[in-house]
Amino acid sequence: MSQTTSLTSARIRHSDYDAAQEYYMSEGIGDGLPVVPPTPEKVEAMLAGAGLRAADVIAEERVRGVVFTAEKVAVNAVMAGCKPEYMPVVAAAAEAVCEEPFNFHANSTSTNGVGVLVVVSGPIAKRIGINSGAVAMGHGFRANATIGRALGLIKINLYGSVPYDMDKSTFGHPGKYSFCFAEDDAAIPWEPLRVEKGYAESDSSVTVFAANSPVQVNTQNESAPEDFLSIVGDASVVLGERHSEFLLTLSPELMGYIRAAGWSKSQVKQFVWERGIRTGADLNEKHRRISLYRGDDLHKRIPVVASVEQITLVGAGGAAGPFASLTGAWGDVISITKRIRE
Amino acid sequence: MTQQNELVTLDPRGASMHRSEGIAVRPATLDGKVIGLLSNNKPNSELLLRDVADLIEAEYAVKRVIAANKGSHRIPAPAEIIAELADKCDVVIAATAE
Repeated sequence: MSQTTSLTSARIRHSDYDAAQEYYMSEGIGDGLPVVPPTPEKVEAMLAGAGLRAADVIAEERVRGVVFTAEKVAVNAVMAGCKPEYMPVVAAAAEAVCEEPFNFHANSTSTNGVGVLVVVSGPIAKRIGINSGAVAMGHGFRANATIGRALGLIKINLYGSVPYDMDKSTFGHPGKYSFCFAEDDAAIPWEPLRVEKGYAESDSSVTVFAANSPVQVNTQNESAPEDFLSIVGDASVVLGERHSEFLLTLSPELMGYIRAAGWSKSQVKQFVWERGIRTGADLNEKHRRISLYRGDDLHKRIPVVASVEQITLVGAGGAAGPFASLTGAWGDVISITKRIRE
Repeated sequence: MTQQNELVTLDPRGASMHRSEGIAVRPATLDGKVIGLLSNNKPNSELLLRDVADLIEAEYAVKRVIAANKGSHRIPAPAEIIAELADKCDVVIAATAE
């Protein structure tokens, strides 16, 4: 109790536990689910989990001028149900969404309705229990569920992306509640995401995407990379060619075929990118763009994303299943990777 | 209600550090004024702005109309466009139109 003096957030008194839950579910300051009541003691413990002080500034978002203090990030992490040991991941992700190319303001308001997808790469994932295997993108694991939810709550509460007010998503999607998984280091036949982004193998990183709903692609048990990646590349066209990037997640089964065939990470990305290219005329006729492309654009070769570098490739998922997952990002967003400070 | 069950929690919400500048002073007339049009590049925004400018020009003897396009609705207008409009215009009209 004596440690709570540095906290500056307004204190709200509730007659009992149930009254607190009603408050956080009825005042438009949550995601509609019950929360862990963010008591000063729990918030202090959350801050200690990352060695942060309440007044530390994790980031400042420029467009809305919102300062992400460690205290506010921790309050939301407590509400989400995080353990204090998850706080370094939540803090790194909160820092990442404020970096300018992530375009947090625009993607928090748009009808596109994206959520924040958190992909963790590195040893912290195993240590704190972020699932990278079966049901990686789904339920059942506290670290995945609550770290993803913490970012959703930060977006709503700290940043102000409240439905009908700032959040004008046409549909939204279930990942707006929570969307977090880890890369499966053991299954990937190439360098992990953190190394690709310039960090050491022994580091851990977090990457945030402004993520639309994931699209699962069944590759129909094809085992030659050129066959199943053709299915993936064709499927990528459904994301639409106005997106600035997409995430491709391959299952361990598909990665096993790639390992056996000796394909590199860049070869896989290049193949999928090229396979997704269509002419303007093709897009009009076969992909319901109707008359979007005219004149010279009819013959122009139009990719899903402008360059192969705008595809991020990771591996995760259960051991069985020839599946790939495509997650499109909102336009004019660049995913951001940060090292997790432990 | 017993005090023993009382719970104190913290407010998770943030606040913008930006100060509201209020609404700019409106000119009494548009006669002799330079009008800026700022499109956000949505498909019909330039058409809408042109129509608005035509209506204004029919009613007032405006000095000049300057049209600008910020290139994308997804990003803030580049600083140079804002600076140019602020420098040259008395009034700027922005629009979005799908």
